[in-house]
Amino acid sequence: MKGRLRHSLALRIGAMFVLVVALAAAGLGTYLYRAFVAEIERRDDIQLLGKLRQVQILLGRPGAAELLHTRPEFFRDTMSGQENSLVRFIGADGAVLADINATGEPYPVPPAAGPAPQREAIASWTSRHGDPGRVVAGSARLDSGPLTVVVARAYGERSAMFARYRVRIAVAATVSALAAALLAALVLRRGLRPLHVVAEHAALVRPGTLAQRLEVAAAPSELRPLIDAFNAMLARLQEGYARLSGFSADLAHEFRTPVTNLIGQSQVMLAQPRTVADYEQLIASNIEEMERLARMIDSMLFLARAGQDEVVLAREPRDALDELRKIADFFESMAEERGLRLTCAGEGTVLADPALLRRALANLLSNAVRHAAAGSTIALHARQGAGTTELSVSNEGAPVAPAHLGHLFERFYRADSARSDAQGSTGLGLSIVRAIMDLHGGTAAVHADGGHIRFTLAFPAR
Amino acid sequence: MPILVIEDEPKTGDYLQRGLTESGFAVRLARNGRDGLALAAEDEIELVVLDVMLPRMDGWQVLEALRANPATAQIPVLFLTARDEVQDRVRGLELGADDYLVKPFAFAELVARIRTLLRRGPVREDALIRIADMEIDVFRRRVRRGAVTIALTAQEFALLHLLAQREGQVLSRSLIASHVWDMNFDSDTNVIDAAVRRLRRKIDDPFEPKLIHTRRGMGYVCEAQPAGIA
Repeated sequence: MKGRLRHSLALRIGAMFVLVVALAAAGLGTYLYRAFVAEIERRDDIQLLGKLRQVQILLGRPGAAELLHTRPEFFRDTMSGQENSLVRFIGADGAVLADINATGEPYPVPPAAGPAPQREAIASWTSRHGDPGRVVAGSARLDSGPLTVVVARAYGERSAMFARYRVRIAVAATVSALAAALLAALVLRRGLRPLHVVAEHAALVRPGTLAQRLEVAAAPSELRPLIDAFNAMLARLQEGYARLSGFSADLAHEFRTPVTNLIGQSQVMLAQPRTVADYEQLIASNIEEMERLARMIDSMLFLARAGQDEVVLAREPRDALDELRKIADFFESMAEERGLRLTCAGEGTVLADPALLRRALANLLSNAVRHAAAGSTIALHARQGAGTTELSVSNEGAPVAPAHLGHLFERFYRADSARSDAQGSTGLGLSIVRAIMDLHGGTAAVHADGGHIRFTLAFPAR
Repeated sequence: MPILVIEDEPKTGDYLQRGLTESGFAVRLARNGRDGLALAAEDEIELVVLDVMLPRMDGWQVLEALRANPATAQIPVLFLTARDEVQDRVRGLELGADDYLVKPFAFAELVARIRTLLRRGPVREDALIRIADMEIDVFRRRVRRGAVTIALTAQEFALLHLLAQREGQVLSRSLIASHVWDMNFDSDTNVIDAAVRRLRRKIDDPFEPKLIHTRRGMGYVCEAQPAGIA
């Protein structure tokens, strides 16, 4: 039950609603009861004072002393409905002149409060049956001298009435709470219906229907942020899913070419007897294809792991120019063969994982060497900024259309549709560069100005 | 003393046995972990090549058992794994393996690692290396062929020194990239080819016999015999 209460919004709101109604009913009942009790008590007290006043007046009449001795009940009976009043007359010397108290109730005698006592002079007592009682004393004059009149009463019937009244209030509060629970259930069922509608729509989302969105306009305003967030999530999922499925399609496509070569050329070779040199040629060619596949698998795994932040960085501060020179040194022979010149300039310290930094720079340079115009210069530059260190590789080559620029860091994206397979490119080099920069919390950017293209890696300083 | 290969995948086991035998090693092949442990305990085994993805008793268990037995505790172990997750590598090395290779690997790379582990080169640490009429003075960084002194850049010298130190061994491009330039990832292989071509222009083109040979699909080797005969 506790678990359900925590997990069901309807139950929770319902329970709170019932609690509120029950508390309100109980509070109202208590207030009304208190007011009622106070009013009844006030009226009883006024009656008691009235009784005292009557006795005092009677005592002032001629023959009152006589009457007090012969028929004391007369003083009690002068008021109708006051048969159970207790009256006591006490002389100036303290002697009880008369006491009308058939059942012998043990009420206390408060100090006499003069000829006209007010409510404050009334004292409380408890009868032998445990009923509440009230008592008041006042002074009077008899022919023979001053005397004290005590009037008391026990309110047994009144207590019983109050008890009945309390039960009724409790019953009324309980009934209204139950009625509230019932109403709450009905209201909540209706009120939460839009939530069910949203849930039903959400349940229908499939990989193929990611383009659908939940309707915002028809939803109540409270649900709109949720639906907006849900729709935004769908949009992100759709984008990621599209990229992923496009990626696996590309991947399959990219794998298909080398695998086709492997199968085809092997089958053609085996169809006829060949010379040893032919077989060697075949195997070597197969190895080249398979090495390309292996590199692609390796790159894919790296990208997958980088995407899930599973790559552990071992960041070290390195001299930026030093790192550029190392990479330039690595590519020097290859550049020389193509008549390219490599220059390194600038300064700065770069905080990066050395192996990943080298991998990123190597991919950029490999790209630059492949696309640079023969005889041109590839410039490597380091620049120390305030919060970042920028390493850039720029080269001159065939102009890259602006439409391609934004896509260059995407997997398998090739600006020139002519495949550069013969050069061993996997089409993943630049996306690995971006993944490495993401891991470092930095950015990889590309700028083109005609045939001049510049890739810039910005490493944060901390 | 033989090398023990523990590998369940039939084709892998077969080519490892064949290739290592042809590279001059005596090879015992076990198709599962239990047989492997038995062979390791019986024979005098010099080194174990262990696939960690074995059925039933996996490579880690085999490794633990090897290390637990005093008779086999000292045998160097090189493990092969298809999962190059960091914790996999760490686990293997913590369990006492000496080196590892991630599948797929170049066969020449495996041979080079095995030779390194066995500390039997032939890696020539000599100060003066002679191959045919080539003389490399390691300390002075001077190279001559016959009477002709050849000027090499620091990079070219490092490359030639690496090849000459391992005369007769085929060196894969990734091993060359790693040793000469400290590039420890599969990069653009054309870079190594270009570097070797440049070295050859200075070392081989004007001279006979040719010393640096391409092993297509494998890498490069430095030796006096012409390619194809070896």
